[in-house]
Amino acid sequence: MENNEWMKGNFPGETGFTTPENYFAELTERINSAVFIEQMKANVPADKGYTLPDKYFEKLTSAVLAKTIEEQPVQQTKVVKLWHSKLLKYASAACFLLIAGAGLYFNNQQYQPQPKEYVEIAGEQMLYDIDEEVIIEHIEASQSGQTKSSAEDEALENYILNNYSQNDLVTGL
Amino acid sequence: MKQVEDSEILEKFSNEKTRNEAFNLLLTKYQQKIYWHIRRLVIDHDDTDDLVQDVFVKVWKNLEKFRSDSQLYTWIYRIATNESITFLNKKKQRNNIPLDEVSGELTDTLVASEYFDGDKLQMKLQKALLTLPDKQRLIFNMKYFDELKYEEISEITGTSVGALKASFHIAVKKIEAFMLNDDVTF
Repeated sequence: MENNEWMKGNFPGETGFTTPENYFAELTERINSAVFIEQMKANVPADKGYTLPDKYFEKLTSAVLAKTIEEQPVQQTKVVKLWHSKLLKYASAACFLLIAGAGLYFNNQQYQPQPKEYVEIAGEQMLYDIDEEVIIEHIEASQSGQTKSSAEDEALENYILNNYSQNDLVTGL
Repeated sequence: MKQVEDSEILEKFSNEKTRNEAFNLLLTKYQQKIYWHIRRLVIDHDDTDDLVQDVFVKVWKNLEKFRSDSQLYTWIYRIATNESITFLNKKKQRNNIPLDEVSGELTDTLVASEYFDGDKLQMKLQKALLTLPDKQRLIFNMKYFDELKYEEISEITGTSVGALKASFHIAVKKIEAFMLNDDVTF
């Protein structure tokens, strides 16, 4: 009794605890909803009504396992490295260089650019093969052609001067 | 039969030699819970069957990446929830049903279903649930049928505990009004 009085004297009324705003106003409604839920659970058991095919979950397990654990992994093809040793690698490189070098060498041998002298020699050889008389005739023909033309020009000039007066020449121009 | 702990499942799964055994244990432990979770959302058994398989295939593929910052079962529930909501949205889009119109098609499915043999009261409750928006129905199902804590539902849905409590309370009021509509008492 003395303790009780001491307690009441030192800690009157208020406990220090607080509640959220409007708590008690909403509490009644929440309790009513909770009671309704409990009544519903008692009268309408959960999941009553829904049914399943026979042994459904066994089939479900098999179906899921078939799509997961039992799914065959993709067969990986075995990869064999072409150059599985350094010796083979270097030997291949050496062979390649040898073949490439030989190819270049022989290619150079077959193709030789003709020197200038050879072209001249070839030209001379062609002339050598033609008959001398043919060459002489050709040269004379080209020379006479030039002379003939100058003689013809002089004759024409004399004709014009002898047969036309200066006045005729001027009016004609 | 004693249920195996999630920690044991994860430990076995991390070892390649015992991975298959771990997955079998996981299937045994969770397949029924996940089935009913999905079934209450999508109603139809065949749709549920497809979704459950998809969920566990995803679990198989992603379990090694699972970080233990959440509970294993809330992680599986989250996958199942997302798959179900995505399925329902696609179904509505496919049939040109507005996303906010929830009750019609699923109610028809329920009434026509060969895998529902409930009495009048059970049918009425299911119809009442189908009047709720999908997410509200999801929260109600997890609280009422699965008896999950608000903190667990929060982990699954990413919604705050306060919002969940408010949503559940509103759902209960709607169902109560629906159930009492024809003066049905129990």
